Amino acid sequence: MKVSDERDDVLLRRAAKGDEAAFASLYGRHQASLYRYALRMTGSPWAAEEVVQDVFMTLIRQPKKYDAEKGEVGAFLFGITRYRVMKHLERAPRGLPLDPQFESGVTNEPVDLLTPAFWAERRERIEQVRDAVLSLPAEFREAVVLCELEELSYEEAAQKSGCPIGTIRSRLHRGRALLMARLELLRDVPRRASAGD
Amino acid sequence: MKMNCEEFEAIGLDSGTGRVTPAEEAAAAEHAGKCAKCAALAESWDAARAELGVFAAATQSAQTPARVQMRLLQELRAQKRPHEVYRRTGAIAVWGLAAAALIVAAVSWQSWRVDHRNPQSAKNIPAVPSAVSSESESFSIVADEDTGAFTPLPGALPFASEEGSIYQVRLQRASLGALGLPVNEDGAADWINVDLLVADDGTPQGVRLHEDAADSATLQ
Repeated sequence: MKVSDERDDVLLRRAAKGDEAAFASLYGRHQASLYRYALRMTGSPWAAEEVVQDVFMTLIRQPKKYDAEKGEVGAFLFGITRYRVMKHLERAPRGLPLDPQFESGVTNEPVDLLTPAFWAERRERIEQVRDAVLSLPAEFREAVVLCELEELSYEEAAQKSGCPIGTIRSRLHRGRALLMARLELLRDVPRRASAGD
Repeated sequence: MKMNCEEFEAIGLDSGTGRVTPAEEAAAAEHAGKCAKCAALAESWDAARAELGVFAAATQSAQTPARVQMRLLQELRAQKRPHEVYRRTGAIAVWGLAAAALIVAAVSWQSWRVDHRNPQSAKNIPAVPSAVSSESESFSIVADEDTGAFTPLPGALPFASEEGSIYQVRLQRASLGALGLPVNEDGAADWINVDLLVADDGTPQGVRLHEDAADSATLQ
């Protein structure tokens, strides 16, 4: 059986014995989703990179921390990622500055079809939305990231967050309200500025 | 199905996401058609969702930089190395011990075989004079340093006992005559055990009867 066809727990056992191919396969399967979650939650590629690296370092150094009876490897990895992200958010000051590298190379749209003005406006708007998301309290932000950006169902989001579905719905409801208010405000700033001219 | 403003806020905003049933979606649309406040809320949320969609798309293909995987693989190798060293050292030690034991066993077996096939050549000891060997059965070498009670053979020169070897020999009593010793003719055909003291040059120097043989033998 090919390494790519192996189950996660089998790959983890092999990786724990030093099998690099097994580890690379396991890493390839999960790194992107973990990185995306960390990036959307922290707003910092550096922080997201550090989080993902820490998660897999834990896997290398303490593979026995994973208990197959408690769930799948993916859920285990997400649990560590979430813990690290929350720790990072506790330490990091609110209102993170925008990272100019945030968007570099992360869009698939053909550039030559867009005018520079459209491109600049789009970039500015994305930064505003990111600002609005990052301004949410961590619990509400997580609900928005999981349900709106990752497009998970309430059940999946609740499972990942380790809380009941009702709590996720409530957090999402409040997160949406705060997000709408924030985006409305950001939308109005240019209008007000242009109205004042 | 009817929906009020509170229900619309809780359920209606999920329209189009697949999280609500078609009936709930229809009720939400109907309510938004009648309630201006909820219609404005839905419009605001649609705009926000569109912007969130752009933001999501911008980060959708984000990947952990390749350097992270390289660092992790380095760590994996570093974790693996001590285990490999211990395993290799252990294997070398086990194989080394096994090889040493095999060599010792082989040398011992070879030595034992040589001793049993040709005890005299193993010790590189000159043969006992033919007069004795022809009629006797030599069966072992005794590295006995006790040379007391040896009867010197006629013509033997004064001799330091540590320079010779002692052989246990089974022979007929009459053979002692060939060594120049007087033999009682009554038991001349008897087989007796004697210790034969042989000098380094192979000449017999003395003889000592074993106790059982001494009981019935007389040298003089």
